[in-house]
Amino acid sequence: MTTESTECCKSTDSTECCKSCPLTHLGYFYAALLLRIWLAVRAIQTGLEKYVGTVGSDQPIMIDGKPNVHGLTAATNIKEYALSHYHGVPEGLFKKFATEPLMRLPGPIEDGLKNLYKSIGGKINGEKLADAPAAWEKFMAEPVMLNMYNLVLGPALLVLGFTILFGIASRTSLFLLGLLYISLTWGLILIKQDDGISWLGIHMILIVMALMLAKYNSFCLLKKW
Amino acid sequence: MINRRDFLAKTAAGAGAGLVLGTPGLLSAASASSPSNKLNVALIGHGKQGQVLWESMKNIPGLHFQAVCDIWEYNRKAAAGHVRALQKHTPKDYENIDDLLANEKGLDAAVIATPDFWHSPHTVKCLEAGLNVYCEKMMSNTIDGARAMVKAMEKSGKLCQIGHQRRSNPRYRFTLDQLINGNKICGQIVNANAQWNRAIKSSQNIAYAPKLTIKQDILTKYGFKDMHQFMNWRFFRDLSGGAISDLGAHQIDIFNWFLGAVPKSVYATGGNSYFKQREHFDNVMALFDYDTPQGQVRAFYQVLTTTSSGGGYWESFMGTEGTIKISENSASTEIFKEASPAPKDPNEPQPDKIVPLSWDHLVQRGFLGRKAAPVEAPPAAGGVVDARVSKPPEGFSLPGELNKPPHQPHLENFFASVRGEAKLNCDARHAFLSEAPIYWVNPSALSQQPIVFTKEHLDV
Repeated sequence: MTTESTECCKSTDSTECCKSCPLTHLGYFYAALLLRIWLAVRAIQTGLEKYVGTVGSDQPIMIDGKPNVHGLTAATNIKEYALSHYHGVPEGLFKKFATEPLMRLPGPIEDGLKNLYKSIGGKINGEKLADAPAAWEKFMAEPVMLNMYNLVLGPALLVLGFTILFGIASRTSLFLLGLLYISLTWGLILIKQDDGISWLGIHMILIVMALMLAKYNSFCLLKKW
Repeated sequence: MINRRDFLAKTAAGAGAGLVLGTPGLLSAASASSPSNKLNVALIGHGKQGQVLWESMKNIPGLHFQAVCDIWEYNRKAAAGHVRALQKHTPKDYENIDDLLANEKGLDAAVIATPDFWHSPHTVKCLEAGLNVYCEKMMSNTIDGARAMVKAMEKSGKLCQIGHQRRSNPRYRFTLDQLINGNKICGQIVNANAQWNRAIKSSQNIAYAPKLTIKQDILTKYGFKDMHQFMNWRFFRDLSGGAISDLGAHQIDIFNWFLGAVPKSVYATGGNSYFKQREHFDNVMALFDYDTPQGQVRAFYQVLTTTSSGGGYWESFMGTEGTIKISENSASTEIFKEASPAPKDPNEPQPDKIVPLSWDHLVQRGFLGRKAAPVEAPPAAGGVVDARVSKPPEGFSLPGELNKPPHQPHLENFFASVRGEAKLNCDARHAFLSEAPIYWVNPSALSQQPIVFTKEHLDV
């Protein structure tokens, strides 16, 4: 306990008051806040970038003041966010992971899922799959576990980023974010990306520090958990 | 020996009104059979290249993907998923193309992206069934297979576009029409050079999950010894032309298209320098000699699958006044201007005062972009190396970009031609004229002898 907090306790005669009063641990409070914002921004923006695509400019190149007839357009790519651009695992990595045997569900489970899909005749609740999620068939054709991960990664980063930012069940959110980074680390171990593993290791240290400082968190929507 | 006149004559004879390699004269097809100009398309082969084509086709309006075909269930399901996601309709999927052609009615076109040794049989079947065909390059793993495709196209009267997609790329068309032919910025093109260099890491065998292995009887039925061969057919002599056709075909086609001629000879060398177990050479270098309307041109091509040195893939046309280095990758595209114009007569003495060559007017009109001025290297510490060292050439850039996936314009050209709204940019006959010399690179390298082309080498 710091000198500052000891003095506080003397004056208020209440240890509980000291713990809940951010001003008595201003340094810790700021540290917790900064870590919280950093981790939240990191997760939210990373999640958002999963929805990024680029579209080329439609502006034609002018030759002698007139649009060229060859279809050349201005050399600028416009970055845009859209649900249709979603890619949880970048395409290049996805292809690498798809050939990894450990990236699959145990054979019987994957077969079971596929057989279940076949047994219902391509229907869910009696409805033709054309009316169900459009990518379901592709989903079942690819390694199921990888597909699930691909589907969940972006939204998970966004949700956890926002819960950490707004202080909703901060400890659990941080713990889940840690698990998510562990899963990313595991993937990078599979494809021998040592630099990325070290990078994620730093994130893990920050999460652990944030958990240790969680008791100094203020401005939380849900302090429980 | 093939000169320009013979070449033009062949082109014209075969295509009706051909104008060298760049402007196929084969007429476009009649309107699509389906109402509202919607085109019913079958996807034949949905492996890596099939999926590359898909990424372009999904952006083209008016296409209805009716059926898919691939011998691998994994690819078939992926294709079906892609189609379903796009058009909310599950296409019928087939393992065998004969079943597809027998059962599917109302098809307008087939897009073929199967292994090279299946290109010709699949294309011929589709043309005979009355479909218009877009087939990936190389036309076939054998020159006879390619010949059969040209004959089938002309007999059927249907369209057959070969996937030399640079032929429809606005950047390439602009460069040829406006810079080389229109403004003649290269002066006299005297040499050409192209390469596709790829690191060992990118040239590895393609792996697969053992669980997804195709049953042996299916592999055997379709000409594959085993799953490894199915995944890596590009490395086997009976299934593919190897790196020179796999990668080189695109770029040697650009030599022929831009120079407006086919080579009169080739001398090649190659070997298995690193991938010693592969049937095809991992490194090939080839020299082509051309007689063009402007004079002799030598073109050097190398495909190296063991190094990324030299900046990937590009084609360079070196003239007396300028050089255009172009690539599908715009980062590798550069244009250089010589410091002074070439005298009309090479024997003419150099004038006392050399007038600098200027492209300012081309920049002002929008034909070129300007790059930063070149930095002249300081003289070597020991003094001048050679009194005749040239000044570094001034750099320029292409003024624009292609804002679509690189295969999309070529596919758009194909489907527009099927609708009767355009003419093919690379029909099978023109593709054959350009590809025929490539079939002789490996024989030259194997025999370590130059091959001087005759009619027998290059004729359909």
